Amino acid sequence: MKKFLITGMLMILCACATTSQIPEWQETSFRDIENYKTSFLTGKEGIAEAHFNRARGALATSNDLDLLAKAYLTKYALHASVLEEFDESEFLRIDRLQSVAANLSYYNFLKGNFAAVDESLLPDQYSKIIKSAREKNVAEARKEITAIDDPVSRLVACGVWIKHLSGDETILQTAINTAAENGWQKPLWAYLSQLEKYYLERGEIAKAAGIKERLELLKK
Amino acid sequence: MSREYKVGIFVICAAALVLLALLFLAVEKGLFSTSHTYTLSSRTGDGFTVGMPVVFSGFDIGKVHSLELNDKGVVLIQISIPDKHVKWIKEDSFFVLYRPLIGAARIVVNTDNLESPPMPESKVAEVFVVNDINDAIEKIQPLLETIERLSRKVDDMASKADEQVFGKEGTLPQINKILKDVAGKLEKLETTVDNLNKISKDASEGTQDLGALRADIDEVAQTLNKVSRDIDALLYKKKNTEIRLP
Repeated sequence: MKKFLITGMLMILCACATTSQIPEWQETSFRDIENYKTSFLTGKEGIAEAHFNRARGALATSNDLDLLAKAYLTKYALHASVLEEFDESEFLRIDRLQSVAANLSYYNFLKGNFAAVDESLLPDQYSKIIKSAREKNVAEARKEITAIDDPVSRLVACGVWIKHLSGDETILQTAINTAAENGWQKPLWAYLSQLEKYYLERGEIAKAAGIKERLELLKK
Repeated sequence: MSREYKVGIFVICAAALVLLALLFLAVEKGLFSTSHTYTLSSRTGDGFTVGMPVVFSGFDIGKVHSLELNDKGVVLIQISIPDKHVKWIKEDSFFVLYRPLIGAARIVVNTDNLESPPMPESKVAEVFVVNDINDAIEKIQPLLETIERLSRKVDDMASKADEQVFGKEGTLPQINKILKDVAGKLEKLETTVDNLNKISKDASEGTQDLGALRADIDEVAQTLNKVSRDIDALLYKKKNTEIRLP
């Protein structure tokens, strides 16, 4: 009886001891991608690049092209979220070798090719925006964008909309507020400049001057 | 002139040249110059080596000739100073063993008053020790100990599964953050030490100490990284570490 008890306890102990250890590359790449996002958005580009390269290195050791493509798409998405151009050559190279429908869909979404996007393959938060984007329904888009929970995703949606569809004051304001709430300098400045441009185009000189003044103050 | 004659002259000239060259080298190396021997004392022989330079105002003026331990347990250091440099060693000179962080250790002679009478060879002066390496290590040592204590505590805490400890704002995530930070800093320090190592190739003893220091730091950094990974594993056990598109 005693033996059974001891064996039983030992078994329980052993069962407790085996925590499913995450492989190191996975952990490193995850952490570095997260760090990349924050450094990039807070305007520390040099550090961001270092994090990205480390994540890329870690992912490369896993031989998983799908994940590597996702890392690049994350980078492009962040560039899109601050209204910047991005160099898509690396993703296209990966895509030629091993095409993943979901990744390609996401890429098309970032590039503004809404017709080529399969919304069922996109991350959930964007699936409805595609519809309003195809219909160019701004009112619907405003609602959809504000409903996105994750601030990064919200900025990506704003970025894609502003860049490929139309400038819209409410969407710009949403983006500015999102950036400001999180203290992300890069998107904040980008969207403020965009808002200034938007006002200038519409001839609202006073408002544009106000934004310009504000930007100068913030950048000082 | 016969051929034998020519060969004879050539051989004699060559031999004379070789001899002259040897003589020149010997004179330059101070083979014929007499030197004075002074005796210094130190409580420890640590850091002294035979042949170690003795410098005055940054110039080599002699070297350590021999080391011996006397009956009282005091280390006697005999330094030999060639005649031409004896003038720098006066009665009120004091001697310092300088072990810099980078570069070879040396005995530095300091003479404040060059007018004072020369030092008698019978006088035994004590050597003071200035030790950059040990100072540096001494400064780092408490830090390492603190880290070790911290990581032990974290280990203890990891066994207490408690919201206060594991929660998002709990102690463990906070400590983990600190640990990661410290590990990062140590890694940086490590590269610095590496660089120092590269610079000071000539500092034989110094580099050995640096090597030991580097290994220490390396070990602590490794341990810290492991601890922080363990904590991460605890924290993210249910959290997904999969990369998702933003």
